[in-house]
Amino acid sequence: MWEVQAPAPPVRRIQDQAGRAEMKKWITTLAASVALALGLAGTSAWAQGSGTFRYAEQVKLITMDPQQQSGSGVPFLRPVYETLFEKSPDGKPVPLLATGYKVDGLDVTITLRQGVTFSNGEPFNAEVAAANINRGVKLAIIEGLKTVASAEAVDASTLHIKLKEPDPAIIDSLCYTGGMMLAPAAMADPAIDRNPIGTGPYVYDKAQSREGEVRIYTPNPTYWDKDKIGLARYEVWELPDDTARLNALKTGQIDAGNWLANPQSAIIDRTPGLKLIRGTGGLNYHVIISDREGTVVPAFADINVRKAMAHAIDREAFGKAVQFGLAEKSFQPYGKGDWAYDPALEGVYEFNLDKAREYMAKSKFPNGFSFDMPSIPIYQSRLEALAGFFKEIGITMNIVPQEPGTLARVSRTTNFPATNLVWATNTDPKFLALRYIYKDAAYNPFKATPSEELLSLAKQGLESVDIGVRAPIYKKMAAELADEAFLIFVTNTPILIGVSDKTANNPTVVYRFGEDSINLRGLKAND
Amino acid sequence: MLRLILQRLLALVPLLFIVSVLTFSFTSLLPSDPVDLIIGDNGTQEQYELVRERLGMNQPVVVRYFQWLGKAVQGDLGTSFFNSVSVMGAVMQRLPVTLSLTAMSALIAILIGVAAGVAAALRPQSWVDRFATLGATFGQAVPNFWFGLILVAIFAVNLRWFPATGFTPITQSPWEWLRSVILPSIALGTASSAAIARQVRSAMVGVLQQDYIRAARAQGLSARRVIFKHALTNAMVPVVAVLSFQITVLLGGALIVEQVFAINGLGTLAIGAVRQQDIPMLQGLVLVMVGLVVVVQLATDVVYGLLNPKARPS
Repeated sequence: MWEVQAPAPPVRRIQDQAGRAEMKKWITTLAASVALALGLAGTSAWAQGSGTFRYAEQVKLITMDPQQQSGSGVPFLRPVYETLFEKSPDGKPVPLLATGYKVDGLDVTITLRQGVTFSNGEPFNAEVAAANINRGVKLAIIEGLKTVASAEAVDASTLHIKLKEPDPAIIDSLCYTGGMMLAPAAMADPAIDRNPIGTGPYVYDKAQSREGEVRIYTPNPTYWDKDKIGLARYEVWELPDDTARLNALKTGQIDAGNWLANPQSAIIDRTPGLKLIRGTGGLNYHVIISDREGTVVPAFADINVRKAMAHAIDREAFGKAVQFGLAEKSFQPYGKGDWAYDPALEGVYEFNLDKAREYMAKSKFPNGFSFDMPSIPIYQSRLEALAGFFKEIGITMNIVPQEPGTLARVSRTTNFPATNLVWATNTDPKFLALRYIYKDAAYNPFKATPSEELLSLAKQGLESVDIGVRAPIYKKMAAELADEAFLIFVTNTPILIGVSDKTANNPTVVYRFGEDSINLRGLKAND
Repeated sequence: MLRLILQRLLALVPLLFIVSVLTFSFTSLLPSDPVDLIIGDNGTQEQYELVRERLGMNQPVVVRYFQWLGKAVQGDLGTSFFNSVSVMGAVMQRLPVTLSLTAMSALIAILIGVAAGVAAALRPQSWVDRFATLGATFGQAVPNFWFGLILVAIFAVNLRWFPATGFTPITQSPWEWLRSVILPSIALGTASSAAIARQVRSAMVGVLQQDYIRAARAQGLSARRVIFKHALTNAMVPVVAVLSFQITVLLGGALIVEQVFAINGLGTLAIGAVRQQDIPMLQGLVLVMVGLVVVVQLATDVVYGLLNPKARPS
């Protein structure tokens, strides 16, 4: 049984080592200024907030219903919706709308913050929280809620969640869209995707917003922690074109925005007056040998072939050429700093063409073979680079273009013996097993039987919620995955947020752990 | 003239029907599936089937088409597959943006094109003519999105005279509206101004050699009066036909230029709908664009008739 009762710790700005000393100075100065301002002016002006902060999102907003969000777009939701828990700067779940939790087998008991109301005046209580969780379970879009059987209110401030199976990551899942709390009126609204109502520090101003262009948020007058409202106005711009977003940042039209590893983010990285923040978490690009028992491509059943492929990839050159120097080589599913990350695995499949050729020579396929690999436009250059590496050891990878948005679906079919995907490195390691390891895993279309070692580790990882207990298990699992080499990890790209110098020097800007958004609680405008 | 307008409006009905059938058929043939995007990477087969059923996509294309048509004739173009946004609402929200961008581009194209064409025609083979011809060639050769990027780099990023992205509604601030449409309109209108300049030059050179122009000059009329009242009015007749085509080109070009300037017009909506396979949105957009083109052509015919009485239908 694990129990946590803790107030949210003070937020700490995530930044690189070099900037830390300077940041401390800033924080000290700010703290003194704030203390002085509060002393002189009282708290009412601060509670109302002042100034505007403008953030640009690279994806178009599809829905403002968090429980129907299947992809990006969380920065549009965070101003309005608060989660039961949130991630602390070191990645641990801490209470937000909750005040504590207890996990006992299949029973999760969560105590809720009292005196919180939604922006429309409806009270937030256990009954509403249960309705939210049950709605999420019924809609079944959110991966993190798939282990939940049901939720119910024990009393006004105690929520009970019944799990279908042990899930040590359930609290972690409640830090994201699965834990966002919607007002009962919003849940009953057929147009909830355009009329969000939550408990967050800001409310969505539909009249001022221009759908498809910019979403405007203004302070929530009923917010339970008014001192954390630092802005009079928060704007999230939809700027999917990378160059347009870059120009908006250069000209000061936006204060910050998120980017993928592309030429524009590389420009930000070297432009005076701008800074590219490398956030915690990110995306791991990897190749999946789906047909690892050799049903369609017999060579894939040969461990020597798989190891040869893993050694044939020059990850450093790949990161520089294809991901503009913004990615680093990867040999495991977790990112540096993650609790499951194992430094011992660094370099386990370092680029070594001689070794790769040795493995191929040892295999039953010394003369090589060919296979088909699905591709979507965004991965085309990556796959062309990989095809070049594999060609060096006699393996021909035929790139088969697919329609954008269909890669995940085709990867779950037996149409292709291998595929390529990204994995969010901040995802709990239990999802590795659900996606790739178990016989019925989502991306195990050939129903390959997992090794006893892998299966055992995957199950052990579910037996505790204590990451101190789980970390060594998942490190062993990563080592075993490396040994079996059916998941070939290529590069890790951190979460990239482009900001102006003013934003970089704003001590109230706190980047959310593992997310491409800024924590709005306490955020103040740059000027 | 009234008959012409009525005829064109009546012809719009079968045209829209044919276009709607073609759009529906072609989008149904696309291999990608919007349901995949809706349920996300972690969606199950069960969810997939549920969403397909909710969207009516498990029904035959013909049935879906006639269901859509039944609502469309009542003015309901349906709702996006992805959210509760009505197609008509989304189109109407963005139509003024694209129209104002197109109108400003057309204005710039006419101003530059007519001025350059007249200047070149008045001094054929002179350096003015050669410069105008060279400018027209350059204007037609340069892609509008590239020109837009150059304009942004110079006038928005470096000089900070105009915003780099976005659009301000004229109702919010006429001055900011003007600032927000100037650069995209120049990017968009330059190629059309080149085409108009060529047409004006050619037509003006021909008209200036006509007997009635010589007669007007012999009567002692001022050069300005001869050029602008007598020559240009007649030279504009073929130009109007070109202009009609150019406005259609501008409408299409706006789809690309809107991306460069992050303007939330019909182009941005269309590209999003194509990417998502949002069939109702695509269907509505195509119909509106076709309607716009027909209206532009109708307006051109009316103006053509006003300029040239011989061209009016009996």
